[in-house]
Amino acid sequence: MRILTISRWELRKGGTDFDKKTIAFTAFLLVSIGILSLLLAQNGLHINDNIYKAAVTDPYIASVLETDDRFYVRVAAEDEARSLFYYEGYDLLIIGNAVTHHRKEKSIAALDALDRAVLRYDEARLLGYNDLNNTFPVWINVERLSREQVFQQPSLQKLPEFEKTPLEDAGQAPVMQTPVQGKTAQPARTPSFTELSGIKKGLPMKEQDLATPSHFNPPIPFKSVVMSFLFIFPLFFIAQLYSSSIMEERVKRKGELLLVSPAAPYEIVIGKLLPYLLISMLLTAGIIAYIGGTALMLHILLPVSLMFLSTAFLGAIIARSFKELTFVLIFLSVILSGYIFLPAMFSNIHAISIVSPVTLVVKLLENEMITLHEYLFSTTPFYLVSTLVFMFGIFIYREEDLFTQKPIKSKLADSLQVFIGKVPAPLFFLSIVMLPVVLLIQLMLIVLMFNIPLRYGIVAFIFLAAFVEEVVKSAGIYTVFSRDLKELTTRNALAAGILSGAGFFAGEKVLLLVVISSIAGSVFGSVMGIGLLVYPLMLHVTSTTAAALGMRYMGTGKYLLSVLIATLIHAAYNLYLVRGVIFG
Amino acid sequence: MGNTSIIVRKEVSSLLNEKTLILAIIIQLLIASLSSLLVLGLASFFDPSALGKYDTPNSDIGIVGEGEINRFIEKSDARVFHYMDLSVALDDFYAHKIDAVLVVPQVKSGDAGIIRFTLYLPDSDIRGTLATLQLKAPLEAYEAYVRDVRGTRIGFEPVRLYVGDMPKKTSTYFEFIYGVLIPLLVFTPVFISGGLIIDMLTEEYERKTMELLMVTPVSFSEIVNGKMITAIVIVPAQVLLWLVLVGINGVSVHNTWIILLMVSIIAAIIVLTGAIVAVRFKKRVISQYLYSQILILMFLVAYLFPDSPFNLAAGLSAGSIGISSLLYCGAYAVLLLPLYVYLKKTSAS
Repeated sequence: MRILTISRWELRKGGTDFDKKTIAFTAFLLVSIGILSLLLAQNGLHINDNIYKAAVTDPYIASVLETDDRFYVRVAAEDEARSLFYYEGYDLLIIGNAVTHHRKEKSIAALDALDRAVLRYDEARLLGYNDLNNTFPVWINVERLSREQVFQQPSLQKLPEFEKTPLEDAGQAPVMQTPVQGKTAQPARTPSFTELSGIKKGLPMKEQDLATPSHFNPPIPFKSVVMSFLFIFPLFFIAQLYSSSIMEERVKRKGELLLVSPAAPYEIVIGKLLPYLLISMLLTAGIIAYIGGTALMLHILLPVSLMFLSTAFLGAIIARSFKELTFVLIFLSVILSGYIFLPAMFSNIHAISIVSPVTLVVKLLENEMITLHEYLFSTTPFYLVSTLVFMFGIFIYREEDLFTQKPIKSKLADSLQVFIGKVPAPLFFLSIVMLPVVLLIQLMLIVLMFNIPLRYGIVAFIFLAAFVEEVVKSAGIYTVFSRDLKELTTRNALAAGILSGAGFFAGEKVLLLVVISSIAGSVFGSVMGIGLLVYPLMLHVTSTTAAALGMRYMGTGKYLLSVLIATLIHAAYNLYLVRGVIFG
Repeated sequence: MGNTSIIVRKEVSSLLNEKTLILAIIIQLLIASLSSLLVLGLASFFDPSALGKYDTPNSDIGIVGEGEINRFIEKSDARVFHYMDLSVALDDFYAHKIDAVLVVPQVKSGDAGIIRFTLYLPDSDIRGTLATLQLKAPLEAYEAYVRDVRGTRIGFEPVRLYVGDMPKKTSTYFEFIYGVLIPLLVFTPVFISGGLIIDMLTEEYERKTMELLMVTPVSFSEIVNGKMITAIVIVPAQVLLWLVLVGINGVSVHNTWIILLMVSIIAAIIVLTGAIVAVRFKKRVISQYLYSQILILMFLVAYLFPDSPFNLAAGLSAGSIGISSLLYCGAYAVLLLPLYVYLKKTSAS
């Protein structure tokens, strides 16, 4: 009940922020944006205007070039034109109808542009003839058939091999067949002028079914990805409002009143979250209804909303100032967006794309089926991580962390300390609890590693993945010893290392059973410790113990160095595991 | 003046202390490191045919029927497989042996009717995109050939140009890199600074420290000026970093100094706008919200005019304009005056 009361307050506060003056100004801005978009849609975007310079002797050719905004045209006598071309950086020289160009990137690009400009000019004139058979004689009718996708692992570059199709005997007369679903009987449609001339304007979102060769554009490969951006865009704004609201209470110290009220921290946090979650889900549902999606998309986008809101919450409680909040938020959203959108670009190419929930949205938009396994695989990490972020956030939702200028690192240690104080065998369970975070970061790393060649990608991934695991396993140990929760003895360090390593191992095995099996067969999978049982246990315990002992003998101030040593041990083992792929 | 420089020093040191500036640069670097994918993604959106130049394998295309087109397709990159009838070709298509099926009509160039091809493509598949790309050139060549035959019937004479030595490669990325990517990179720090000034000012209001500052010998306009100067000077520094990075990646950027000058002027305009919003509305939530809308508005305006800062950045970096652009820079600088006067008026009330 208290949760709902807090939600209502939060909504009311949002209402008073947007007073009449603000709403009027917003309305004015929105109307202007609408009018400008219309203007742009009509006049076309001005991109690359006058980027190429051409010196031309024939005024007729000049008039042809002037139909293209990209050209700055100068009509001159032959000598003058030559000197413009050779000494004043003109990109093209056209004497009569002979074209000369520099052997430079820009000049070659200008040549391409010239080619298109002349073609467009000719086609515009041909349109005047009103004689389709002789002016636009060639048409292509595109039929799109859906076929099952084939996935390739593990490299993007490598394409599947298949045996050569035997060549049919070309000497025989071809037999014409009607296509399977008698769809060809449509009469040749006469294209309208806008169809022929208007293609260049705006973004080419619409796929044509019937076109002449010069207007025959390939389907945009990432259309659905762009469409799925529609869903994510409002989330940026809502996350921004949510974090602003929390930060404002911290800055103005209004939140102190709530903290001394009978409401528990978790009630306050959830109460404040609910309105924003509700609004984002309503907006998402609206967009789904608008573009004609299915209710299933709402299930996929719920964890995405939660993820955005949880990062906003995290940013808002660890930042020390508005500036820091802005940058922490941009940083987190850039990473999150990369994780969400980059894999989606490969939705039809590579199995790894399923790590992102947006891939599932893309698939649904393209009328493909998704399996329950895919749904669990892509959304479980999001559910778990956002829950974790909120949980650890609630731990430090208290006076001494919200209203002081503590650095980010010590706030994070604070929340670990609360966890350690609350749970029996804390180091064991901390490793388990943090696993989803590790999984998410590692999946993100895999996505990034696709940027570099596979061989280097794996090595880089091994080190980074090991580093992430070691940081997570030793963070609790660091907290215990740096905050003097336990005496820093060799015995205690050994015990901590063993507990934490064993916990991580146990959690990893459980998690594997639940989600990972899609990438278990790939190289990345074996690096993430799938498969053997005894060795990984020893590995996790050994490396974490090394980190713990490092802190014991070098002091907790040398935490980073201890973790790096543990990382090296860990990475060496994994390198040995995949030696075949890298050196073979 | 002395007081203003105190504020500048305070703000700069707080930027460095909170590591916000470093975080900002990391963010931009992160975007840059993703750029190989980003360039591929954005470029193919901007011009899908760019994909064809990205080291792509040949597509396997099944051809049903025979015609003059075969001559043109054989010259292209596509691998061709001939079929006698469509159903066999489609079987191979569904078995992933070929990526597209082109059905060639029996109408010839010398005939009267429309020559209508049917092309079967896999739906929403990158291989369909590639097949389309590799078929486009031969189809265009074929169209030109048919037009040559039929154009004489209606007395049409195409514009004919002859190129001395045709370059082997074409340059599809050029317009995207200079027209879209560089302007975007160059103006990102500007947008960030606009948000920064709002954070700096609204924080003083919301913490109620503005009132404390006002009782010190520092005047209100000195506080605002100091913060604005900080937000503005970090812009050309970041832009220079960007241009150097782009240069390292093999894209030659012309007129670096004029670009830096222009970006600084535009940064001043945006920062002044942000300051006006912050001083007027005083709350961060509202100010940031309105600022992002104003930004979208300015973005749209920028594409409406050929001499907008975006297009100037494109022209300058590509070396298409030079000193003459200083005229426009001057025109933009004139805008600063009314904005500054308005800010003064707003803060006085």
